[in-house]
Amino acid sequence: MTRFIARRLAGSAAVLLGLSLITFALARLVPSNPAAVYIGPKARPEDIARVAQELGLDRPLPIQYVTYMLDMLTGDWGTSIGTKRPVLEEIVGRLPATIELILAAMLLAVPAGILLGVLSARWQRRPPDLVVRVVSIVGVSLPAFWLGLLLQILFFRTLHLLPLTGRVDPDLRFTSPIVETTGLYLLDTALSGNWVAFRDVAWHLVLPALTLAAYPIGLIARMTRASMLEALGQDYVRAARAAGIGERLITYRLALKNALIPVTTVVGLTLAYSLTGTFFVEVVYNWPGLGTFTVKGLLNLDYPVVMGVTLFGAVGYVVINLAVDLAQSWLDPRTRVA
Amino acid sequence: MTIEVLRPGVVVPRAGILRRFRRAVLADPLALAGVAVIALLVVLAVLGPWIAPYPGQGAGESDVPARMLGPSFAHPFGTDGLGRDMLSRVIVGARPALVVSLLVVGLAMLIGVPLGALAGYRRGRLDALIMRVTDLFLAFPPLLLAMAIVAALGPGLDHAALALAISWWPWYARLARGTATSLRERPFIEAARSIGVGDATILRRHIVPNSITPLLVQATIDIGTVILAAGSLAFLGLGASPPTPDWGLMVAEGRAYVLDQWWLSTFPGLAIFVAVLAFNLVGDLLLDLLDPRGTK
Repeated sequence: MTRFIARRLAGSAAVLLGLSLITFALARLVPSNPAAVYIGPKARPEDIARVAQELGLDRPLPIQYVTYMLDMLTGDWGTSIGTKRPVLEEIVGRLPATIELILAAMLLAVPAGILLGVLSARWQRRPPDLVVRVVSIVGVSLPAFWLGLLLQILFFRTLHLLPLTGRVDPDLRFTSPIVETTGLYLLDTALSGNWVAFRDVAWHLVLPALTLAAYPIGLIARMTRASMLEALGQDYVRAARAAGIGERLITYRLALKNALIPVTTVVGLTLAYSLTGTFFVEVVYNWPGLGTFTVKGLLNLDYPVVMGVTLFGAVGYVVINLAVDLAQSWLDPRTRVA
Repeated sequence: MTIEVLRPGVVVPRAGILRRFRRAVLADPLALAGVAVIALLVVLAVLGPWIAPYPGQGAGESDVPARMLGPSFAHPFGTDGLGRDMLSRVIVGARPALVVSLLVVGLAMLIGVPLGALAGYRRGRLDALIMRVTDLFLAFPPLLLAMAIVAALGPGLDHAALALAISWWPWYARLARGTATSLRERPFIEAARSIGVGDATILRRHIVPNSITPLLVQATIDIGTVILAAGSLAFLGLGASPPTPDWGLMVAEGRAYVLDQWWLSTFPGLAIFVAVLAFNLVGDLLLDLLDPRGTK
């Protein structure tokens, strides 16, 4: 197991190195004049020349790449053109809002998806199966940004049930301010016993989390169904059935345990999908996280921000994949060989 | 964002696939609905300007006195801020949606298939190199690489399509490699090699044509996913620019009025959803036909 972990870690390090090559190429080679792009659309020629020298763009490419890597490793990810603050600082500051949203969506999607998948497999080719098939395929076909708008129309405009946008009611700053320790508002308000704010934060979280969860629910349900059907066809299930063990016990105690192993991969996959899925959800709900920040950067040609987030997202993706692999090898020793 | 992927290495005989597909579609009402919607999309893409009630407005002409009208008999999908008939805009929008996704998938195949076939056929160090590069491109979260590329090139429909193709080709490289690997051991390839046929000719004449069925199936499935991805980029403002009747762009344009003029975003978004759903329904069936042990 230790050797497996070591090998996977080495592999991930190699991938990260390769990723940095791609982001480097995007930052320095694709734009015809990287300095002009870096400094923004309103740059004067003398500024461009100065920045080109500051960025070392006059030096040979291999040296540029080494400098770029050293900067990335020491935490110097450049300065945002829009906010004039260090990119890494901006990313880390907005991360908790995004993490809270993704966690809430996953807490919704994983149990719901698994439950739907199990139901569907247990009643294969019967009405529950058909319903779940439709729900899951609709889930993976819905554009998140459109679903978000529809939910806003329904729950805010028509039913007056839930807030339209934002993470928390701005008035709460005066009545019951949130003491930030983790940056995850639900956790922070619960820890400080600020239940008024807790309730408000939870209400604000419902629609964004639901929107972000639609795709993962569909995907997890599909995978669980396929995986359950395979497990239910195994010899040990047939043996259990022959021994007279009840169908309920077989489904939940025997088959589900084994069926869930491949599902861990999908959970990792959907978690990774949420890294970009959250961009659209955040834009629709004006969620003050990494997504709105990045999209603003994209539209304002805030180049350092875009490249910083791309690298950050890629690193996050690699880390999630690594975690999934390790979890899977722990659950199922057979996969350690691969 | 690719949700449905054929497992690499599944070699499918070409013979009888259409007949089996027809029989399976007729037996599955959901897939039948999918096929019907795709057929409708193709008709709209080809004949849209002649079918739309206000073709000029579909392309962008304004009619300001009729602005922001709710759905009615004259304008079933309502009108937008410039008085343009939304039904016409949605109908005319079918062509750019399909053209862009065909372009993206075609370009991705053009890059990915030769590389993958070469890797699977030659094996060895070249294979390792090509596949490591493929893995790198797949190591980015879906759409993030495309966004970064659009940011580097500047927004626009052509740049968005190019960016999507660049982030999509690795899937085709993988698939093509899988089929090429299993084909290279077949007797007819060995026979060709033994009589001195060159590698390039074997690839062109034997490997690629024989891996085409799974590739085309994957392409069909991907068209829906690409419509969704392109719509998402357009929604963020990274794709088409006004007055292009682009569905994603229309949703974005209507967003500011979503509470009062709900129809502005609802109908173009519905068009994206229905198109993606149709391709996914058909894709489901195709996967099942080609690879019964697969995900379904």
